[in-house]
Amino acid sequence: MTFRIMDEGKGMDIEMKKILCGLRYLIIIMISLLCLAPFGILLILALNTPRRNFYEGNMFVPDFYFQNFPDGWKQSQIGHAMLNSGLITAGAILLIVILGAMAGYAVARCKNKFNQTVYLIFLCCMMVPGIINTVPLYGLMIRLHAVNTLWGMTCVCATLAIPQAVFVFTGFIRALPMELEEAAVIDGCSQMQVFWKIILPLLKPSVSAVVILNGFGIWNNYAQAAFFLQDRAKHNVPQALSIYFQQFAGARWNIMAATAVIAIVPVVIVFLLFQKNLMRGLTDGALKG
Amino acid sequence: MKSRKIGLHQFMAVPAFALYAVFFIYPLLKGIGLCFTDWDGIKAAHFVGLRNFIDFFHDQRALSDIRTTVLFTLGSAPLLNIVGLVYALLMNSEFRGKSIARMCIYMPAIISPLIMGYIWYFLLQPGRGFLYHFFDGLGHPEWFGNWMGNYKSALLVIVLVNVWQYAGMTMVIYLAGLQGISRDLYEAAKIDGARWVDGFLHVTLPLLGPSIRINVITNIIGSLSVFDIVMSLTGGGPGYQTETLSIYIMRMCYGSKTGYSVAVAIILFLIVLIPVAASSWLMRKKEED
Repeated sequence: MTFRIMDEGKGMDIEMKKILCGLRYLIIIMISLLCLAPFGILLILALNTPRRNFYEGNMFVPDFYFQNFPDGWKQSQIGHAMLNSGLITAGAILLIVILGAMAGYAVARCKNKFNQTVYLIFLCCMMVPGIINTVPLYGLMIRLHAVNTLWGMTCVCATLAIPQAVFVFTGFIRALPMELEEAAVIDGCSQMQVFWKIILPLLKPSVSAVVILNGFGIWNNYAQAAFFLQDRAKHNVPQALSIYFQQFAGARWNIMAATAVIAIVPVVIVFLLFQKNLMRGLTDGALKG
Repeated sequence: MKSRKIGLHQFMAVPAFALYAVFFIYPLLKGIGLCFTDWDGIKAAHFVGLRNFIDFFHDQRALSDIRTTVLFTLGSAPLLNIVGLVYALLMNSEFRGKSIARMCIYMPAIISPLIMGYIWYFLLQPGRGFLYHFFDGLGHPEWFGNWMGNYKSALLVIVLVNVWQYAGMTMVIYLAGLQGISRDLYEAAKIDGARWVDGFLHVTLPLLGPSIRINVITNIIGSLSVFDIVMSLTGGGPGYQTETLSIYIMRMCYGSKTGYSVAVAIILFLIVLIPVAASSWLMRKKEED
């Protein structure tokens, strides 16, 4: 008798578990759809003819009208802006990764006073929003002739991301086993060589994390670009889009959407390439610092 | 060991620090001097004492900006953390399509908030927006309101869009934290007869401490300096009602009131300092216990 009751209880449990599992799937699918919906709407808008009313007929089947893309590309000069954004992002990421990893190595492996102080300053300054230093920075940028230059913007973006990168790299390097480095030193490597030949290649996952956490922010940077990239030839993507969109005052959504899609494509591709390593980069010690 | 020998690697933090000192620390210190002047960005600056600060607290628009910024933060920082944690809990187990679901949820965070703002504006615009037609289709057009035209609802929309966009980022940090928690702890709790809620309260939450700290602090700082999403959704409107402090700083700087906008930046810095100092004080107190 008692056995049977227990069995029934177990059966109920499994049933409940199945329902809960299904429910969870449903919730996850709904959340995913909610996150993707605006992209779908953007794409549908971009593929409709300018004359079509979005809500006519079946709004989920677009016209597959591709003329919006070349039109938007030509009128908005988005290609030029994407080149600017790309150069700024690539340069800034290179600076962030190399300088950040070097600093992270020094902080994690050489516990001298200077390194510890630098680390502490970075930790504290991580709390200071970029906008606060932007206005006084403007004066310095004018004197350096760095306003409306790509290298100036690259340095500004790299600077804003450096503290977090140092934090991530320090945590990651601390979690690496010392034995590797000791073995390399015994084999005759100098500490500098150890960094370039052993540590840097091992940093791949946390580089992915740093690229994902900062790269898109730099590509999409608007707050600093509004100050330092006012010249039309030096506009980055958000600057170009906002100026372009303002001309229409919300009247020509199709061409705006097509331009936005063009601007999004490279970002999505880079994201898909790096996202596999993102979780590993974050879990392997980045947060333990 | 080897590290006692002075080598170049000891100074590997220098380049990162040099970049940071030039583009961040120096302007920040300079800004503290500039905020007491009437500098307009071009001509020589004159010392005006505390006038900028007195002006600030007599400007209705500035005071309303402080209110908007703080209200936005009070709404978005807790919501981001709750939603991010719920997402992470949903995602923190093996199921098919896990990485795709994660990707979907993270996707909004890689797109320019500017583009996001325009998409949501398209969805929400009065009379012609997607949601209006949706409710109209349901036979209840009166459910739709002019949400962007009214201070309270416009602020709510900005908060929700911000949460929608960045919940994925918060989720990733929480996921990294969750994966650091050993399964054995849950098994042990289960054997002791703990329910899921007990496990969550007494195992998950305490061990998530570092992730919670990082998320709360970055979300508070990010929310207090919010810029892009407000620019594209409402442009600070209606009137100046949803303008935030960082937009005010930019507009004042453009309006040749550079010294004044530096003073506003310093005020924003002090506002940011309060929650950051409070959180690190709480942290230290907890460590002492």
